[in-house]
Amino acid sequence: KMAGDSRFPDVDTDGSEKSEEMEIVVNVGGVRQVFYGDYLNQYPETRLAELVNCLSGGYDSIFSLCDDYDPGKREFYFDRDPDAFKCIIDVYYFGEIHMKKGICPICFKNEMEFWKVDLKFLDDCCKAHLSEKKEELEEIARRVQLILDDLGVDASESRWKRCQKCIWKFLEKPESSYPARVIAVLSFLFILISSVVMCVGTIPDLQVVDAEGNRMEHPTLDSIETACIGWFTMEYVLRLISSPNKLHFALSFMNIVDVLAILPFYVSLTLTHLGAKLMELSNVQQAVQALRIMRIARIFKLARHSSGLQTLTYALKRSFKELGLLLMYLAVGIFVFSALGYTMEQSHPETLFKSIPQSFWWAIITMTTVGYGDIYPKTTLGKLNAAISFLCGVIAIALPIHPIINNFVRYYNKQRVLETAAKHELELMELNSAEGKAAGSRSELEDLSREGKDDPFYSSRIKVSHSDTFIHLLSEEKNYRTRLQSCK
Amino acid sequence: MPLGMNKHGSRSTTSLPPDPTEIVRSKACSRRVKLNVGGLAHEVLWRTLDRLPRTRLGKLRDCNTHDSLMEICDDYNLEENEYFFDRHPGAFTSILNFYRTGKLHMMEEMCALSFSQELDYWGVDEIYLESCCQARYHQKKEQMNEELKREAETLREREGEEFDNTCCAEKRKKLWDLLEKPNSSVAAKILAIISIMFIVLSTIALSLNTLPELQGVDEFGQTTDNPQLAHVEAVCIAWFTMEYLLRFLSSPKKWKFFKGPLNAIDLLAILPYYVTIFLTESNKSVLQFQNVRRVVQIFRIMRILRILKLARHSTGLQSLGFTLRRSYNELGLLILFLAMGIMIFSSLVFFAEKDEDDTKFKSIPASFWWATITMTTVGYGDIYPKTLLGKIVGGLCCIAGVLVIALPIPIIVNNFSEFYKEQKRQEKAIKRREALERAKRNGSIVSMNMKDAFARSIELMDIVVEKNGESIAKKDKVQDNHLSPSKWKWTKRTLSETSSSKSFETKEQGSPEKARSSSSPQHLNVQQLEDMYNKMAKTQSQPNLNTKESSQAGKQKEELEMETLPGPMVPLLATRTDGIIDMRSMSSIDSFISCAAEFPDSGRFSHSPLTALPCKGGISLVQEQGRPEGSTARYVEMNPSSESGHRSAFFIESPKSSIKASNPLKLRSLKVNFMEEDTSTLVPASNVLRTYPDPLKSRGATAAATDTSLLSDRSLMSPETSIYTTASARTPPKSPESQAAIAFNFHDAGIHKYIDADTDDEGQLMYDSSPPGNVSPKYSVANSGYLKQKDHVYRTEKNHLEAAALPTSPKLIGQNCIFSMEGITGRTQGNQETVRLENHISPEVHVLPGSGGHANTHDQSI
Repeated sequence: KMAGDSRFPDVDTDGSEKSEEMEIVVNVGGVRQVFYGDYLNQYPETRLAELVNCLSGGYDSIFSLCDDYDPGKREFYFDRDPDAFKCIIDVYYFGEIHMKKGICPICFKNEMEFWKVDLKFLDDCCKAHLSEKKEELEEIARRVQLILDDLGVDASESRWKRCQKCIWKFLEKPESSYPARVIAVLSFLFILISSVVMCVGTIPDLQVVDAEGNRMEHPTLDSIETACIGWFTMEYVLRLISSPNKLHFALSFMNIVDVLAILPFYVSLTLTHLGAKLMELSNVQQAVQALRIMRIARIFKLARHSSGLQTLTYALKRSFKELGLLLMYLAVGIFVFSALGYTMEQSHPETLFKSIPQSFWWAIITMTTVGYGDIYPKTTLGKLNAAISFLCGVIAIALPIHPIINNFVRYYNKQRVLETAAKHELELMELNSAEGKAAGSRSELEDLSREGKDDPFYSSRIKVSHSDTFIHLLSEEKNYRTRLQSCK
Repeated sequence: MPLGMNKHGSRSTTSLPPDPTEIVRSKACSRRVKLNVGGLAHEVLWRTLDRLPRTRLGKLRDCNTHDSLMEICDDYNLEENEYFFDRHPGAFTSILNFYRTGKLHMMEEMCALSFSQELDYWGVDEIYLESCCQARYHQKKEQMNEELKREAETLREREGEEFDNTCCAEKRKKLWDLLEKPNSSVAAKILAIISIMFIVLSTIALSLNTLPELQGVDEFGQTTDNPQLAHVEAVCIAWFTMEYLLRFLSSPKKWKFFKGPLNAIDLLAILPYYVTIFLTESNKSVLQFQNVRRVVQIFRIMRILRILKLARHSTGLQSLGFTLRRSYNELGLLILFLAMGIMIFSSLVFFAEKDEDDTKFKSIPASFWWATITMTTVGYGDIYPKTLLGKIVGGLCCIAGVLVIALPIPIIVNNFSEFYKEQKRQEKAIKRREALERAKRNGSIVSMNMKDAFARSIELMDIVVEKNGESIAKKDKVQDNHLSPSKWKWTKRTLSETSSSKSFETKEQGSPEKARSSSSPQHLNVQQLEDMYNKMAKTQSQPNLNTKESSQAGKQKEELEMETLPGPMVPLLATRTDGIIDMRSMSSIDSFISCAAEFPDSGRFSHSPLTALPCKGGISLVQEQGRPEGSTARYVEMNPSSESGHRSAFFIESPKSSIKASNPLKLRSLKVNFMEEDTSTLVPASNVLRTYPDPLKSRGATAAATDTSLLSDRSLMSPETSIYTTASARTPPKSPESQAAIAFNFHDAGIHKYIDADTDDEGQLMYDSSPPGNVSPKYSVANSGYLKQKDHVYRTEKNHLEAAALPTSPKLIGQNCIFSMEGITGRTQGNQETVRLENHISPEVHVLPGSGGHANTHDQSI
């Protein structure tokens, strides 16, 4: 029978009993365990060991470590998860901890932190699991951070800063507002138009011949092109101005693409106007022609507007190794089969395989199963070789492509999951912040009603109970709450 | 469960519950509390529980009376300071940790759906789930939802056909089966094969028609069709037209038929022919004009659409269509990738090749063709690069093409295989159902798949909700509006009103189908499961049941009249009715889980009321017979005298009234807020199929005419009397007037048996908790109340029941709803007890239109 929490035994008796062989009874969430002091003292920094060591320290110290103490049974009560506890006490017996299957690793990590058992005691097999989850959470936290950054404007900032942020949101976050979406669509249309113009401009029927007999682009197409470039330039400049971190902005992949898309136009413009003074006219024209190829870069600008393309680039980036493997397989195949094809076709008088480098082309086209038919084997042996090279090509391409596809699919699916997870996280934070306030006021009320019987743990713990996700990345908690509220 | 708790449990039925002060004292004397959840003991500080004051556990502390405590927990023991909850212990560990740490994680091996069920019970909102577990949880939940929805949809397509509202329903149905369900009979199969052959034939004819050797030349020098082939074409078109028209005529829902994609294809396959004929005939003179000819040509090309008609006969083609529809996102991605690749490589190769003499890469658009052919690795060879630079670009183009095409395709493939698997699974499910039917005919038991049954139940609900116009739908809707999750958003008021008005409609119809349908509850013998199963699937399968029953009806009726006399002798008691449903399930899936999860409860609280029934043999008889007959009015007339009649009435009536009462409580928004919810949570009662006491059988023997099936019917019906909320289960001892409550979960009984046939302790508990004296009053209560009330009250109820009975039964399998007859009797009698109990229920029990009104209208109609 519990005697109640108002009566405590004498501190002295506690102290006198303290010895190395002393045993303590720990009750964790209803599960009772008996420990020997010397076992616990193996790891003096843990909570249980601290408990043993501070038994003589009086009730204040005991209650700072555990939630309840029953002097009759000499039983310490902890209001924690008993399942995780059962796993964690393994550290005293075996020196390592294995996570119980089924427990969420993050949850388990928190339990370990409560018992002040270092994470290093977690065995490697379980650590992998934990780190995987952690990575995912970090990813989510990053997204949350992004969303939070977009939300709300701090009133404290200067007017210029606020304006900057406004423009930034306008141009970079199409989902933030209706006009921003319109801008995104416009920008997308401009990219399309300029790409089409670039293609159409090369059709001979639509070209005009200038005074010197050179083919020039049609003047209307030219003006459309200029308009598009004007739009791109304006967009880029505005982005650059409004970006919080100029260097970071300038070096990011998408923005390099942007620069490449607009630069050729200005370079060729300057060349045609000034270049004549510096070098010969034909050279200038050649340079201008070469710069035209650079216009292709604008097609990559589409990637900004398509998450699918971003996923593709991500997947390719992640599977660099596999891509290398693919190329290597192909290269080996090409070398082998072109050499074989060349030797076997030597016997034929009208052979199309004139040299090994020339038959490289044939090998590529065969191995990738394209088969133009401009070069083809004529001897029986050569045809046999072609058949084999075709089979090998299929295999060589199919094998390394699988991991690449895997990466792509995984990332593609993860993208969606993370999106919802981030949203959920935000909701959770909102909820917790609202509840934190409510709980705070409630605990105050209870303080009054219970005449201060409330313990210090209570209110503090409630307030700390924000999400497990890596909100410490979003350090200033206060800040985001106000932002959250301001944007509502 | 600890011994002490048993002791307490028995005490609660015999002696007074503990005094509130006692409870308060016991709570005050310790800072901790023991929570026993499903046998697993937890110990937790009171103040930990206070952190979430609006949840079930949070409210535990504030409950200082026996009743309020029993609402929250299933049992308690003050000496041990222990509270018992009959829930899944695994999930509770996670939930208790939420109180301790403020972070809700989920055990990894735990099924997401069952976890959400537990969260509902404990009053914790799923939004608190931490992000690390949330993704898994939602993924699973969505997946499950989607799967069930899809399954329900296809099943609905197959089985949601009703033919009874128009003329020659039978013939039309036969025709429909013949044309639409090739698996239904040999003739249908042959018809399908002929149809396929016509499709193939007409396509071949169409292709042959373009062979120059076979074409003729008309007076304008234009080529025309070969006359023989034209005949073939005409015959094929005639067949197609006939097929389409017959389908259209026999279809139960014309507009839906017209909208169906497969039927649209059919139409497109035959229309061009007629349009061509029309154009040719009307423009004979101007046919030489180029544009008319061109239009005709276009329509001729459209004839090729008939090859798509094959989709009707091939699941694979349908899956393909579905997959493409579902993965248009990925298809768009694929096209975007290709388009970008084509653009880039064609411009690159253009710049590389344009200086070559007589190059074919004349412009970027011209080289688009080359890029496309290369990227898809087709490689015609009409254009190919010649310069070294061009060849390098070409090589890169090949590799990039392979990559770019390969990337999004696995996602599409995934969609396809998923759907295909699902399709296959459904086909299997249908086969299994057919096997069940056969087994039913043979009288053998076939184990049935819970999930299928459940899916069907959902599907039925959905159908019903959608079928607004149809009479049967109306009937079903009475409850289904409430049951289907989508409608739960309604406000309470509208809910109750609509439901009551609906019930009127159905009442007055009194059509034979209704009677037929309402026979379902009775049939809970060995075959019953299957029957129900079939009913869900096909209402058509019922007739044979009816015939079976009706043959017995006459005989039984006579007996009934003899036996009904004892009824009125039962001392009059104040009736108290208590209507509560366990609609704990927020979504249909949840209910499915709850169905499984709560069986133990139901076993626990079920009393066996039959023992105390005043009139023994008659009960089952009346029930048996009342329904099959179908003529409501007649039945009503004889009811007043027969107690058993009442019972059957209760039985049926219950669903409606009780649903009305407690459904709204379950609005999703209330989820966290357990204050309201608790009251409506009800522990399913009485699944007694298996555990039924012997006395029953002997009684069944007295009812000479009854066969074994009747016997088991009885056993199923008897539990109806006992329905209890956690709270109400305790009330009987306190208030001897007793309550007349009815359980409406035969299915549960059946399924229960099927699922965990070996829950022995439940049986024990059941016996424990059913003291003989306890039940009989209940019955008599209802009975006497009715008698007092004059017949019309009755009738209303009975009619309610009749209207409602059939539709509910199938659904209940999943829902685990228990209906007690609540509102009507109580309200009409204006009993004070009723009011008291109704506190537990919801305010709108009072709001409901008085049953007096019901009764009156009904009388008139009769």
